[in-house]
Amino acid sequence: MSQPIIRVENVGLRFDSFVALDDVSLAVNAGQCIVICGPSGSGKSTLLRCINGLERFQKGDVWVDGVSVRGCQDLPKLRRGVGMVFQHFELYPHMTVLENITLAPIKAKGLSRKQAEDLAFHYLDRVGIVDQAQKHPGRLSGGQQQRAAIARALALEPKAMLFDEPTSALDPEMIAEVLYVMRDLAQGGMTMLVVTHEMGFAREVADEVIFMDRGRIVEHAPVDEFFSTPRAERTREFLNKILLKL
Amino acid sequence: MRYEFDWGLLWREPYFGWIVEGVLTTFHLALLAWVLALCLGIVIGVLRVTNSRVLRAIGTTYVEIFRNIPLIVQLFLWLYVVPQMLPREFSFWWNRLDNVPYWTAMIGISFYTSARLAEQIRSALRAIPPGQFKAGLSTGLTQVQVYRYVIVPYALRIIIPALTSEFLTVFKNTALALTIGVIEITATTRRIEAWSFRGIEAYTVASLTYIATTILVILFMSWLERRYQIPGLIKRGEARV
Repeated sequence: MSQPIIRVENVGLRFDSFVALDDVSLAVNAGQCIVICGPSGSGKSTLLRCINGLERFQKGDVWVDGVSVRGCQDLPKLRRGVGMVFQHFELYPHMTVLENITLAPIKAKGLSRKQAEDLAFHYLDRVGIVDQAQKHPGRLSGGQQQRAAIARALALEPKAMLFDEPTSALDPEMIAEVLYVMRDLAQGGMTMLVVTHEMGFAREVADEVIFMDRGRIVEHAPVDEFFSTPRAERTREFLNKILLKL
Repeated sequence: MRYEFDWGLLWREPYFGWIVEGVLTTFHLALLAWVLALCLGIVIGVLRVTNSRVLRAIGTTYVEIFRNIPLIVQLFLWLYVVPQMLPREFSFWWNRLDNVPYWTAMIGISFYTSARLAEQIRSALRAIPPGQFKAGLSTGLTQVQVYRYVIVPYALRIIIPALTSEFLTVFKNTALALTIGVIEITATTRRIEAWSFRGIEAYTVASLTYIATTILVILFMSWLERRYQIPGLIKRGEARV
């Protein structure tokens, strides 16, 4: 088997005395979609930030496409290879959607404006908001903003995508349009690591599901097994809580 | 009041020529000082919010030195004290420049202003959601690029109104340059008064110059504010929701 796109090995991270990540290991193979869920403060987002070097960890290491994050001399290059989508979109409000998307391809990757704009339109089309290219993010709905943010990440043509609760800040109606785009990506063969509480999405799209609690991976199983026969008591408790919304 | 006005005096030589020269000196002194102050202010403002303790300390020291000494004292320091502390060759070169008081005033005013600007810029930078920085980094931009293309342009748009008043302050502070021998518009009016004993006419020219220019600046800056407002984020005359 070829090497995984993302490999996390025994990563440990503490903020002073608070243990954010405790001996976390996982691997995402090419084309795989893995969903991470768990209560807030369980280290899901921190883990994603460790993968593209936005957070420094004290123990273990992460490899992205064979490159060690700990020993990485060129973090910007490594980060270009991993798209990231945030809970609050984090589009740059003073630029148009098109400028948001073309900034990094031009400044970090060295593409010409023309090349970058072609790429941008290609991905805007893919997420279905080509007609919003010249608008500023503040003029878009939440769902459109998140789709623009996805296009921004895709325009760097990354090897993998990290999603950090991409639908948690959205109205129910808009969640669907973002999940639709993500499902389309996964089916198109994109390697994805998704932190989300959308269990419907996990069930339908994910290959594997990880449950985290207090900085540890409590359960890591293929998607069917995860929902039908969760092994850990803590996982069952969590699933019961979020699936039986009374 | 028994005083016969003689406004025509202002159009006569040599006074008219003096006035033109004085107004021009004020203008380019203010503009040059402003541009330098803005560049320095942005750099120092960014230093004050970086993660590096050393850089933050440098920024803080700079700000506290230059904003806590009265401008007029700073001008004297730049003119009399600093050149003596510099290497011999440099002070020779410096003293042989054509317009030492002018350059001294420009440096003094811009350093003083940059410290004030750095504080404004620092507070604007801190108002920007930290997620913006992470987003920039995550797309492979370097830290410097994130500041250059994302954070600083965003911050500057937030503080355009504050920049307007800072520019007006710089403009009026150029009057202090007369204390170290720069013949800008205020110095010119004093000279006209000394030559003609026509103080009212002379000082009217100075006052009108300042008022007319500041009004133009205010109009320009409010245009700039509209031009660069961030759509959907900050609207004129409307509270941010």
